[in-house]
This record gives sequence, structure tokens and C-alpha cells, in this order.
Amino acid sequence: MSEQRDAVVEIQGGAFGYGGAPVLTGVTFAVQPGEAVALIGPNGAGKSTLLAGILGLAQHRAERFRVPTGKGEIGTLSQSSAIDAAFPVTLEQVVAMGRTPRLGLRWPGSGDRAVVADALAAVGLTEHRRTRFGDLSGGQRQRGLLARALASEPRLLLLDEPFNGLDQPSRDALIETIRTLKARGVALLITTHDLELARAVCDRTLLVNQRQIAFDDTDCVLTLEQVEAAFASHVMEIDGHTLATTEHHAAEFPEHRHPFGDDQLGEPAGERDEAR
Amino acid sequence: MGLDFTALDFFQLAMLEVVLAGALAGVVGVLVVLRERAFFTMSLTHATFPGAVAAAILGVSIPLGAAIAAVALIGVAVGIGRIRSQGPAVASGVMLTAGFALGAFLQSVTPLAIDVESFLVGQVLAVTGSDIALTALVLTAALAVWALAGRHLIFSSVDEAGYRRAGLAPWLPETLALAVIAGTVVAIMPVVGAILGVALIVAPAAAARLLVRDWRWMLVLAPAIGVASGVLGLWASRWLDVAAGGAIALVAAAAYGLAWLVGSLRARPAGAARVASAEQRDPAAHATIEKRHP
Repeated sequence: MSEQRDAVVEIQGGAFGYGGAPVLTGVTFAVQPGEAVALIGPNGAGKSTLLAGILGLAQHRAERFRVPTGKGEIGTLSQSSAIDAAFPVTLEQVVAMGRTPRLGLRWPGSGDRAVVADALAAVGLTEHRRTRFGDLSGGQRQRGLLARALASEPRLLLLDEPFNGLDQPSRDALIETIRTLKARGVALLITTHDLELARAVCDRTLLVNQRQIAFDDTDCVLTLEQVEAAFASHVMEIDGHTLATTEHHAAEFPEHRHPFGDDQLGEPAGERDEAR
Repeated sequence: MGLDFTALDFFQLAMLEVVLAGALAGVVGVLVVLRERAFFTMSLTHATFPGAVAAAILGVSIPLGAAIAAVALIGVAVGIGRIRSQGPAVASGVMLTAGFALGAFLQSVTPLAIDVESFLVGQVLAVTGSDIALTALVLTAALAVWALAGRHLIFSSVDEAGYRRAGLAPWLPETLALAVIAGTVVAIMPVVGAILGVALIVAPAAAARLLVRDWRWMLVLAPAIGVASGVLGLWASRWLDVAAGGAIALVAAAAYGLAWLVGSLRARPAGAARVASAEQRDPAAHATIEKRHP
């Protein structure tokens, strides 16, 4: 059934960058409604640039470039919360911000409030809705920001390293939420370093390192040869838990760390954290 | 009797102006505090000073002169802020001193006798009907901005990157905020002048910020503190025979001090309880501290 519907994202021969030489080239992939695609590659591979390109915050050149363009049709979750913990704002208010693109200058009605309540329920934080955002735990804040992304009722969700720094319960809750969203027909593009997670929830995987290396079913893409090609020539345990080689890679190839200083999605800062 | 009545009416006029100005400063102060624009507002208040002096020399409307100077100096500040090595704080600092110096220079070269002090610290007892009308107009505009665009102002204050990723343009709420702040600085000039204006704008909102956990309450509390500061300051100036502008600014500052005291007294038992519960959960933490400090 999903094959018959139009793809939410369809990019052919895409190149992405910030004005100078492209950061990522040769990108050809599609995301169907209800499908999750993992976006995997080492630091500086251009993952966040691709996400920024889909959002219209980075430049692109492509033979075919179709992404949702309506207000609120793309929801995003960045690696870390930029919200000042001392800001006097409740979780419910943060989630309601997700409605802003759809509301414009209109006041929220009962329908909008119901969407916000649903989004809170989807991430299991209904009972914390009146808590000040800064008083939540790191995992709860991350889930709260996911609820904010859901509140815009997106057709496409871009999750940038959503599992970074999450404890096991928050991680399990997030996996469950992703499955629910897929069942509802939301398309997801998820950057991650965690192959186990990619296998758990992502149907297909897009492997990149400044150019596209592979795009296919997750199990076909995440072979030793392909991952080696993406992450330079490091031998790694492919069926282990994570790509531990990332930090060696970052140490040996410092030029890969943050080649684009004004990345809107904040990938360089986040990836420095991962390289600890 | 007739003289008494005139004096009372005069005072009532001033009272009306401080109530409106206190409410306006409080409502807009929330914007200044939440968007962290206190220093910008400080320099903006000083930037209006040369405009007021120039308007007095030319014999045109003082608020108009102040408003033109404010807009011109915002332009200069935006230009300096764009220079890569200079931050917005540098731009505000340059704007502050240059504005003040320009006003002093204009005043020193003109042969006219200009009451500079009224521009600097206000002269609320000389307030006119048009001053009151301007304050009421800017207050209405500020309330309308909060009602229509409040969501955008808060979203872009809390998480500008998220606002941009949501497909929205952060420069729109920023421009709206700067315009409302500039209008407020000009409108409350007759009450607290160029130098003291920032006290009435920032202190009530900053005090409210210390006491609430939900920004919407700041929009209630800050104007209340602003109005109370204006009224108490005006009464103090009458009974103690001191300058009204200074008295109002001092009351606003005292309100901030009081809020800080209340906030820290309230936080202390809660903080102690948190430490206690943390120790209950993890007795080892306590043991470690004891080991370190035998």
C-alpha cells in the first residue's frame, strides 16, 4: 500500500553545501510515508548539511528535489536542547510552540490543544505537562522536544542523533514512539551512529561520507565493506553495539570534524561531544 | 481653593501618566528580559537623548526627535553588529556613549537654554495631555503585539534555531521587539527620562522573572510592579520633596531587591529538601563527603 503512495522525500543526484564546494554529493534516495530511513556516516560526512538542505537552510543542486514545503510539514529534533533551563516556560508551552508554523497569528483552538495533548501522550509525558521545561531530566527534555516536533503534525520528521545521551528507559520509549509514528504514516529520516538502532527501527539506510556510498534496505547497506568505505579503512566489529571507531576517525582525520562553521543544525558541536 | 484644585489636577495628570508608563514599561520589560535585551535597551535610552536635544533646538516635537534618533541609532548598531569581530554588546556600548556625547555636544553648542535635566531624568509633573496620549497609544500597541505575536516572540526567544528550523524567520519577531522597545523608551521619557528609563523597563520584569515559573505570570506581575513603582515614587517625591524620576527608578530597583530576597528565601528550604532527598536516595554520596571532610 505504501509503495503506491507518493514518496515524502525524493532526491536524485543531489549536492548540498553552504555556498562554496559542496559538502555532500551524489545523493539519490527517497523516503516513503510510514518509512524510517537511517542516515549514517562519520563526523563531517554531511549528514546535518543534508538535513539543513531538506529544510531549505543549506543550498542544494539536484536533478530531482522533492521535499514537503508546507508550513509545519517538516518536524525536527536536534541533538541537544538549545533551551535555557532557567527560562520560565512549561513543557506544555514548549510542545505548543510546535503549532506556531500552522497557527501564524491565529489563536490556538480546541483542535490545536488536542494535537498538543496527543503529542504529549505520544512521548509519555502527559503528567509532566505543567512542569517547567528546565526541571525535566535530559531524556524527558529530548522527548518533550520530540513532542514539539509532533505538534506540527509533520509529514516528515528529521531526527538528528536522537539517542545521544539518553538513558535506557528514554531510549526504549523513543523507539516505541518511532514505531507508532511509522504506523501513522509519518516519514522519518534519522541520523545515528548506532547501527543497532538503525536495524531496530529503520527500514532503509542511507550511508554517506561526503558522497553517497549506499542506499538500500538496512541489512544490505550495513555490511562490513560498505561501512568500511564510509568510515575510512577501520576494521570494526560490524555486529557489535556501536561504531566505536568514530572517535579514532575523528582523531585521525581532524579535517572531518567541522568543515562548515555555520551549520544551522549544530552538528559540529554535537559531534565533538560524541568524540569524547 | 482654586489654586489647590489646579495643583491636584496637575498631580492627577502626573499620576495617570505614571500608571500608564509603569504598565507599559512592565509589559515591554518582559520582552526585554526574556530576549536578554537589557543592555541594548540601556543604550537605546541614551541614544534618544541627542534626538530630544535636537528637537528642542529646532522647536519640534520632543518625542518625534527622540524616536528618529532611536531608529537611526538602531541602524548604526545593526551595522556595527554585522562586523564579524564585533559583537552586539560592542555595538550597544558604542551607541550608548556616542548618543550621550552627541546630546551633550548639541546642548553645549546651542545658544538656547535647554532644560537637559528633564530629558535625562524626566519631569513627570510637567506632563501634557499629548504625552499621556502617546503613552496610552504605545501601551495599546504593545498589548496588541503580545496578543497577536506573543507565541512567536516567546518561541524565537527560547529557541531561535528551532524557530528557524520550523520554517519561520527570526528577524520578524526581532524587528517587532526592537520597535516596541524603542517606542516604549520614547513614550516613558517624560516620566523617567533617558537615563532612568531602563530602570523602569528592566527592574519590574526582572523582579517578576525571579518570582514566577511560567512567563505568562510575568505579564501580570511586571506591569503591577511597574505601576506600583510609578505611584509610590510619585507619592514619595511629593511627600519627601525629591525628584520624581529618581524616586520612581529607586522604587523599581528596590522592588527588584525585594523580589530577589523573596526568591532566595523561597528557594532555600526547597534547595535544602532536594539535598536531603538526594542523600536519602544515595547514602553513599553522604559517606563520600564525610570521608573527604573527616
